[in-house]
Amino acid sequence: MSKVVAQQVEEQEPVVDLVKADQVIDKYFDLPGNLMPVLQGVQDAYGYIPRIVVDHVAERLNVYPSQIYGVLTFYAQFHLKPRGRFIIRVCVGTACHVLGAQRIKETFFNLLHIAHTETSADQRFTFEEVACLGACGMAPLAMVNDDTYGKMTVQKVDEIVAKYSALPLD
Amino acid sequence: MVNLIIDDKQVTAPKDFTIYDAAKLNGIKIPILCHDKKLKPFGACRMCLVEVEQMKGRQIPACTTPITEGMIIRTATPEIVKARELVLELLLLNHPLDCPVCDKAGDCDLQNLTYDYKVDSNRFSDLKFQHEIDYNNPLIERDMNRCVLCGKCVRICDEIVGYGALTFIDRGIETKIGCEFEKNLDCEFCGSCISVCPVGSLLARPFKYKSRFWALTKHKSVCGYCGTGCNLTLGVKDNKVLTTIYDEDQGFHKGQLCVRGRFGYQFINSEKRLTSPLVRKNGRLTESTWDEALKIVADRLNGGAAVAALATPRLTNEEFALFKKLLLENVGTKNFDNAAGYAHSALTEGFARSFGASASSATILDIQKSDLLLVIKTDAYETHPVVGFEINMAVKNKGVKLSILSDKRGKLSKLKGSKTLVHRPGSEVSVLNAIAKAILDEKMVDGTAASVAGYAELEKALSGFTADSVAAQSGLTAADIKTLASEYASAEKALIIFPVGQAYTGHTADLATALANLAILTGKYDKEGCGVLCLSEKNNSQGAVDMGFYAQDGGLNGLQILDACTAGSVKTLFIAGENPLTSYPNRTKVKAALDAVEFLVVSELFLTETAAEADVVFPVCSFAEKEGTFTSTDRRVQYIAPAICKSAQTRTDFELFSDLIIRLGGQALSTSAAQFEEIAAKTSGYQGMSHVSLQKESAFATVTTVPAFAVPQAAPAISAEGGKLTMVTGSALYHSGTLSQYGEGPMHVCPEGYIELSRTDASTYKIVENDLITVTSATGSMQLKAKVTPRMPAGVVFTPYHFSAAPINAIWSGSPVTMVTLAK
Repeated sequence: MSKVVAQQVEEQEPVVDLVKADQVIDKYFDLPGNLMPVLQGVQDAYGYIPRIVVDHVAERLNVYPSQIYGVLTFYAQFHLKPRGRFIIRVCVGTACHVLGAQRIKETFFNLLHIAHTETSADQRFTFEEVACLGACGMAPLAMVNDDTYGKMTVQKVDEIVAKYSALPLD
Repeated sequence: MVNLIIDDKQVTAPKDFTIYDAAKLNGIKIPILCHDKKLKPFGACRMCLVEVEQMKGRQIPACTTPITEGMIIRTATPEIVKARELVLELLLLNHPLDCPVCDKAGDCDLQNLTYDYKVDSNRFSDLKFQHEIDYNNPLIERDMNRCVLCGKCVRICDEIVGYGALTFIDRGIETKIGCEFEKNLDCEFCGSCISVCPVGSLLARPFKYKSRFWALTKHKSVCGYCGTGCNLTLGVKDNKVLTTIYDEDQGFHKGQLCVRGRFGYQFINSEKRLTSPLVRKNGRLTESTWDEALKIVADRLNGGAAVAALATPRLTNEEFALFKKLLLENVGTKNFDNAAGYAHSALTEGFARSFGASASSATILDIQKSDLLLVIKTDAYETHPVVGFEINMAVKNKGVKLSILSDKRGKLSKLKGSKTLVHRPGSEVSVLNAIAKAILDEKMVDGTAASVAGYAELEKALSGFTADSVAAQSGLTAADIKTLASEYASAEKALIIFPVGQAYTGHTADLATALANLAILTGKYDKEGCGVLCLSEKNNSQGAVDMGFYAQDGGLNGLQILDACTAGSVKTLFIAGENPLTSYPNRTKVKAALDAVEFLVVSELFLTETAAEADVVFPVCSFAEKEGTFTSTDRRVQYIAPAICKSAQTRTDFELFSDLIIRLGGQALSTSAAQFEEIAAKTSGYQGMSHVSLQKESAFATVTTVPAFAVPQAAPAISAEGGKLTMVTGSALYHSGTLSQYGEGPMHVCPEGYIELSRTDASTYKIVENDLITVTSATGSMQLKAKVTPRMPAGVVFTPYHFSAAPINAIWSGSPVTMVTLAK
């Protein structure tokens, strides 16, 4: 995999500590069909899946890098770019749409200036529109990481942004 | 066998067949786009929909559905035809209709099906794709706008080639085929993906806008590079070979080719080809006539034993036989050889004493029929890529076990379930002897072995090769050696494969003997899926041996001939197609010999650096311009006919040797066919063959083995010297000998020599990829580009030998391992 070296030089990718990836790989090494758990574990460890880690996983698990990329682009759960510490998800499904999801979305954009799948420059927030979060009774709905916020209002958006902006990044 | 009814016709087919296979077997055509007989069923395109009565008339894909007893299948009902038309309409929705400028037109499955089903309008409309076309490599153009997502390219690259360059990216309507992170294609460039692409998404760039497909005439031929003996179909127009055409029914390899076979044909019509004889006048090579050149050479050849000859193993069998006749009968010398005099010794000495025949006891077809493959050096993939494909398929599809004994890892080591034992360079014979001893000690010897001649001597000679002592010197563990021994001995069928060649100086008679001993000890030879397969380097290496064109009866061998030139006892040297200045060990010595010899004759396609030293140069023909036979590494004799006419001032080597025989007062057989008749009558295993029979079908020359044990001499252990690395030489995947330097394809992908080193050594010496490294050995020093790879063990470096611009024989004196130092 001479390309690993070449790519490193060429692209000046952020320096990634492969030890974390190795720990994940070691954990699942002998498990048949280990590619998915390894990729999920790697994503947990880095917050996203860095390119250099793909090459490393490919080499250690002896699968083609292309195959891994196919899996990564097939599933929406995998991210190839760094993501924010807090993932804001705003539901734009039918019920939420009827109850004003559009306004909620716009308010987030006006405050944070990030659109769908974008990440703020300080890596604090990533914004995503989702089709349904499965809690239509609480519409309009937003989530920040694992916290759910129902019956959203424009004021609540301000509060949420203020709350998570005050939290430490680490 | 299963009975079923297809289109009201009562038919039978084997029970593991799919509906598509059963229909095809019985002459019923079902249209396909995504199916390929070499690949596993996929069922992506829905073109092969058929109706099965038992399934309540549902439409099901024929290519993935297994047949069952009593099935009633209809392949062309109006509903089916309508469904297929819909499939085509939907494919054509996004497929650009740029057939007038598409090189695939005429050979395009989608175009042909659209024509067959008369899809002349589309009820739907949508935007065409706007993917960027990948023009970033010189050989394969990828235009994903034309793609129909059949996935054949992805699957062939995985299932057969084992490289995995391509994948499906994204989902749904956005799905496309590409490489990881959408990067440019950078692979082995075997072009298998091009060969199976049903549309113009993957195209051979060297053929772009050269000719319409239907304007080509197709000539069947045999590849002129390595010894595998792959069959080719050359696409010819205006007396030029413009491309190689895929034919899935051709050869044992079903049309699979490597980068050399598919993209290396340009040397045939190269502008660098010699066009007239050259004669040295006043110190300069000047254009001359055949008459003058032949006269000068004929006069010089009257020198008896002071004449010697070296020939390339790329001549035809007929040319070898005739050249030998010229030298023995008309010139009167026994000093002739091929392949540097040692690259064939595994056959001519090793197999000759172990099996009583100078040929492999196994064939390439045995690979898929075996239970265990023992491959010596991962280079078997590099030297013979199509044999490598066979190994891939055996391991992946047939569950054949793969053990590799090598001085470095390689592509074969990546196969799932393969085991690679990496030993110190140069210790392979010791390791094999230790395996033989372990087989003896563990009483795993076959019942017949004790009665084979030499058994007692071998047992005695092996006493020193205990697993423990060999483990210490080879860097393996005693357990590794014993496990490999017991796996090999206990396998029902086991096949040993090893490459030989001019860069593999360690792969000589002793290695062949050591391997043969294993096969004979365990009785694994002369049976299906068993034996020892020596992969000889060039396309007719085995033929050269069969024709006896090597040093015998006191004649000087290749290297001795060069020494004799230097010493002055050989005064005239005839080199037919060899390029010793680049490909023989020890450049200084070769140069001294060529300088010292009074008269040097070279017959060549190109003015190589060896030809540039000559007194007379004859321009001769490539495999595409001549008639004759080649014998592949597993002794398959194949006939070639000229695909193009030779140019006016060139002659075949056959004509050249005939002319010389006549000028020396002898009588030559007038045609290649007549010469082959004589060969067939005299050569063991060739009986009954003729050009006429071989034109219809190639034939295996039978090998009769008479086993005997011999004691292989193991090289003494090489002790590591402080600050020095061990250099091993070999072949690069993209090249074969020095000829591939004139093929544009191989040169695009691998244009220059390099030195491959481990990541450990790279960090020790602070070397990164593409650094220019000065490599110094006891015999010289040269600069090579660095290639850092995970496959090399620390302390070992690898370098290929093909390049005239970076001839590694400047630092390589011919020993299997060379100690070198690196400096930036």
